[in-house]
Amino acid sequence: MAKSTSSASAGNNNTNVEKIVSGEAPLEFVKEGVSFISKCKKPNQKEYMKIIRAVGIGFVGIGIIGYAIKLIHIPIRYLIV
Amino acid sequence: MAGFRIIELAAPFLPIMPEIELPYDKLPFDDKVVYTILIGLFYIFSQLPIAGINTNGITSNAIEGDPLYYLRGIFAMGPSKTILEFGLFPIVSSTLILQLLAGMKLIKVNFKNSQDRQLFQSLTKIVSVFLYIILTNIFIATGYFGANLSLLSILLINFQIVSMGIFTILLVEIIDKSYGFGSGIMCITVMNTATNFVDNVFGVASINVDTVVGGNYTESRGAFINLTQNLRSSRFSLIGGIVSAFTRDYLPNLTHVSIVALIFFIVCYWQNYNMEVTIRSTRTRNINNVYPIRMLYTGGLSIYFSFILIALINISIYVFLNITHLSNKYYVLENNTLLIPKFPFNLLTPPKAFYPDLFTKQILTLLILPIFIIITSCWFSLQWMNISGASPKDIALQFKEQSITIAGKREQAIKQELNNKIRPAAIAGGLVLGGIVSLGELLGLKGDAAGIVVAVTSGFALLELVTIEYQQSGGKSALTQILGAPGGKY
Repeated sequence: MAKSTSSASAGNNNTNVEKIVSGEAPLEFVKEGVSFISKCKKPNQKEYMKIIRAVGIGFVGIGIIGYAIKLIHIPIRYLIV
Repeated sequence: MAGFRIIELAAPFLPIMPEIELPYDKLPFDDKVVYTILIGLFYIFSQLPIAGINTNGITSNAIEGDPLYYLRGIFAMGPSKTILEFGLFPIVSSTLILQLLAGMKLIKVNFKNSQDRQLFQSLTKIVSVFLYIILTNIFIATGYFGANLSLLSILLINFQIVSMGIFTILLVEIIDKSYGFGSGIMCITVMNTATNFVDNVFGVASINVDTVVGGNYTESRGAFINLTQNLRSSRFSLIGGIVSAFTRDYLPNLTHVSIVALIFFIVCYWQNYNMEVTIRSTRTRNINNVYPIRMLYTGGLSIYFSFILIALINISIYVFLNITHLSNKYYVLENNTLLIPKFPFNLLTPPKAFYPDLFTKQILTLLILPIFIIITSCWFSLQWMNISGASPKDIALQFKEQSITIAGKREQAIKQELNNKIRPAAIAGGLVLGGIVSLGELLGLKGDAAGIVVAVTSGFALLELVTIEYQQSGGKSALTQILGAPGGKY
């Protein structure tokens, strides 16, 4: 147990492989991740809306710029092909 | 071989490799914004069709089908048979894999030595160029660009794809060398995914679908535009039009677009999960602060890594089947565009649609693909956590320099404590991102799930950099004065 938590490096390969084969390590591994998630601080609704608005506007804005450039290309493609 | 190091291989190429000079001075905020937006230049070129393809009298699937359809979104590849055929794939894979190897000490690089750094950087570029050349030629060999090509066409195709590749490498380098925000790969991925999303929802280009549905019809690419067209068209009844808009599988449909949007919202939500570690200064008493450790600690890179592996495996399979002349037996052409492998070779291919394709043709994918993606992304997260500039060791050092310590811990125990906190974060990040990407891919997003996950995580990183830069530059930006933004987006 102590080994698996101390380091993720490719050291103690043999013991790791044994654990993976026996199914003990993957379970422990997933447990570690899940317990982290449950301890996390989650954004509340107000924060979340604010984030979504900022990121959403940015994302769609960039998308529209990109699409505009792409649109210029439709006639060019027709001219070439 | 005692003194030989792999990075020395790059040395002979140093004089001929074009390189971007570092800026003399720190660029002002506005210039950076302009440089970053100009990354869209990439698009002007990504749509140009390749000259020199021979399409005459071909009966094989190879020339018509696109075996890379599920990689086009995430690696910003252009449409099939355009000069940006392989997109960012060579660049992303060489950068990520070489850094991983260097981090795992399989390639010896001393990052403190500037000559070593330069050699390593050039090595990355050279490997990308070689990948472009190799990919182009194996695809020529498989007949992807047509059969019986003359030597001239082969050279022409090579020239177009490789020179576009070098152009892209330099474009990425411009942003990397602090002319823009963040890394070039990040910017291009965000831009490409955002553009694809807008295109899939509101794309007005009309595409001839007579080979797929029969009759002489055109449909719009954008799912939403298609819905409005269907409602007015005489081809469908009212209900039929709505159903078709949600279920057509030859172009983006509304179901596809809404799943992508849903993944966008979920990843945005997860991005703000963090664990707060209480820290305090060792100099002044009673001032506690929090240091957040993100759940998505390694961001979308882990997904990139999984997809690089998937791409390499599937391209090898494609090449193997073509060399052994089995490709007509093991590949089916669907919708005239997608080249989909059959049973033993489709285990790592994201299905075309959730139903019926996943269940009737590749039921084992349901098991193999998620396991593969989750394991590789977790493994990568764990490795990357120790390699990247934000490893527990680095943060502990930072804390020490700023005389900060974790509340209730001795100074010596900081590194261990950080490791205990960050390791689960890396695992959790790999798990949730791997999970949502595999779910999305199994639902038939054809690579868009991975694309949106990488784009959202990179987008957040970019937004953070822009905000920090904006706050540092103060109100000096002319752009924001024109646009009238009071204080950044946050």
